[in-house]
Amino acid sequence: MTDKRHSILFWSGFAIVMALLFVSPYVLPPFWQRFLTEVLIWGLLAMSSDLLIGYTGMVSFGHSAFFGLGMYGAAAALLMFTPSLVLALAFGLIGAAVVSAFVAYFSTRLRDIYFAITTLIFSQIFYVIIFTWTDVTGGENGLNFPRPRLGIPGIWSEPFTATTLHWFVLVVVAGSYLILRRITQSPFGMVLQSIRENEPRTRAIGYPVERYKIMAVMLSGLFAGLAGVLYALQNRFAAPDFVFFLISGEAVIFNVMGGIGTLVGPILGAGTFLLLRELLGRIFGENFPYLIPLGFIFIAIIIFMPQGLLGFARRWLNR
Amino acid sequence: MSDDRRDPQDFWYNGKTTRRRVLGYGVSAGALGATMLVPAPWQAAFGQAKPYKIGTSQPLSGAGAAGGKTALVGVQMAVDRINKSGGINGRPIALEIVDDESKPDVGRRKTEKLLVEDRVDAHVGGFLSNICLACMPVYEEHKVVNMIGVCLDTTITTSRCNRYTFRPFDYAPSQAVAFAPELVKMGKRWHIAFADYSWGQSTRDAYAAEIKKAGGEIAGTTGIPLGTADMTPFLSRITGNFDGLFGIFFGRDGVTIGNQAFDLGLTKKYKWAGDGAIAESTNIPALGRKIEGFVGINRYLPVFDAPMNTPHHKRFFDDAKARLKQIDPSGPDPDRYVQSNYEAVNALKLGMEKSKFRGREDTNKLIEALEGMVMKEGDDFPQGDKIMRKEDHQAFLRQFIFRIDGGKPKIVNVVDGNKTLFPPACRFG
Repeated sequence: MTDKRHSILFWSGFAIVMALLFVSPYVLPPFWQRFLTEVLIWGLLAMSSDLLIGYTGMVSFGHSAFFGLGMYGAAAALLMFTPSLVLALAFGLIGAAVVSAFVAYFSTRLRDIYFAITTLIFSQIFYVIIFTWTDVTGGENGLNFPRPRLGIPGIWSEPFTATTLHWFVLVVVAGSYLILRRITQSPFGMVLQSIRENEPRTRAIGYPVERYKIMAVMLSGLFAGLAGVLYALQNRFAAPDFVFFLISGEAVIFNVMGGIGTLVGPILGAGTFLLLRELLGRIFGENFPYLIPLGFIFIAIIIFMPQGLLGFARRWLNR
Repeated sequence: MSDDRRDPQDFWYNGKTTRRRVLGYGVSAGALGATMLVPAPWQAAFGQAKPYKIGTSQPLSGAGAAGGKTALVGVQMAVDRINKSGGINGRPIALEIVDDESKPDVGRRKTEKLLVEDRVDAHVGGFLSNICLACMPVYEEHKVVNMIGVCLDTTITTSRCNRYTFRPFDYAPSQAVAFAPELVKMGKRWHIAFADYSWGQSTRDAYAAEIKKAGGEIAGTTGIPLGTADMTPFLSRITGNFDGLFGIFFGRDGVTIGNQAFDLGLTKKYKWAGDGAIAESTNIPALGRKIEGFVGINRYLPVFDAPMNTPHHKRFFDDAKARLKQIDPSGPDPDRYVQSNYEAVNALKLGMEKSKFRGREDTNKLIEALEGMVMKEGDDFPQGDKIMRKEDHQAFLRQFIFRIDGGKPKIVNVVDGNKTLFPPACRFG
């Protein structure tokens, strides 16, 4: 296929998916509408970690810290000032950027399992700080805060509804996807992929590998923080549980389930995981230990679909 | 994976569209849609009279599972009793149970399900304070009454209170008001050891303030991280000139401090007192002899000393004990979690009867009925009389100061509910 045809196919597919997601609030019952919005948010978190796992070859367990700090940054803005969407976004992104710069500076000096463990330890340090610094963070109980209005400061504003919140999240997630896609296809993204394939050779060619890795961790952390801000806007609370490393583990699971190194795959993985969890609970009842079959499904995906659901879908559709 | 430019070519469909494939997609999508849109048949109709739908969210899995299952026993006991006696306003209760998995995000999602899909008329429950606090805005948003079952965090009815949430049992400030004079009689100078997180910290502050108000002194405080298996490094630093050691712990941490403070000789050297959760009936078997002499405060004790030697307490105790045996063959005595959930359902029932509640459209009437509501000791409220304060939706009730003697709690003093009052600190938005 020619590049032009690729492009037409991609943008047609993108437009169809966007249109379906756009009209979903009119079709889905309220619970499932909210569920879909949440899938998009978790999908953004998973997509942000895909930049590291899939494109740079670095498995991070620190994404819960970036996600959580984005959430607490937004909470700080919404509690300290008159609730403002712009301030919530700005504070959340600044919080995530500062933390990711700090984590990136120390952890990118290490590789492989050492990098993963360092990011995990950093996320646990932030968890303990947030858990015990009750006066500021609310400790174990977290923080509740009002939801800001949707709008452009000084021009127009209106309260968020479930539908407008869904559209807002959709726009942010789709925009993030396009930016991340552009990044991965840029020369910078090619260097990241080169680091993933052969780090010593990339260094030998003359690329400052550490600097590229720091940039990758920071970018990834920034988008994870953005997901944290969206979660805070949707749920109006921030809790230390979201900084706990299990959230990073879930992001890795979403990646593996959906397809590493595809950007779209992690969103699909998040959707599949959350949908399976919800449906298993509904079909078999509240006391059903859904994590056991979910675990088997995950293992089956790793064994029979090593490229994830998206990789499997590609092969199946093109057979 | 290695060449991202190829992704669109690989991904976008370029195979054949056959009738079989289209039919396959249709059937799959239809099955998925049906599961999502149509409620399960066993969740539907409940008898002739339209039942009240009451939701209960409890941690049935995860860290809080043991307590959550116990709490659910209290809810089910009350619901069964109400349904057997003709329901509320002639309508039965259909109980919708959800498991919050001890996680705030799951709790929040399940609460949305209760309110949006199951359309419950009211909610009773909530065990872990962080989940209660995460879910409170959802009840406010959907304008549904939320009767708390266990969550003890002070801020639920103070700085983070809301109009739709009620707590029909005590909180740390009122227990501190009740207990501090007794503590100062035991000794002037106290050292407080507490679970170092929000509940422990706020309870520490409440006791420190009340002990000082009663004429005592705080010699020092020691925070111990939640879930610390070996507390010896923290406890060994507790030395000096003071009269009593006061512990603020619950669950497994309560067992740990009870055992390790005894092993280090702290409970012999100093007077030993604390929150009643340390010597909760479920902890006593694990503490054995080491908890002897401990003085605590609790709203409920599974004993038949006066004033708990009533026929309604006996009925409550027997029913709870039989039900608890079904989930734990050792047959533990009921604890305050069973009691508070049982009474929370009955408080809601009383409010629904007083307001002639028909459904969600009468939520405001229900709130008005619950505000200032007096609950009289009897089969509905075996713990004793209580009143729901209008200003903050916080209940005040009698407290039992007890001493562990022969492996059992013995009531040494009863503090009347009106002597546990603490000024309201809530402003409904």
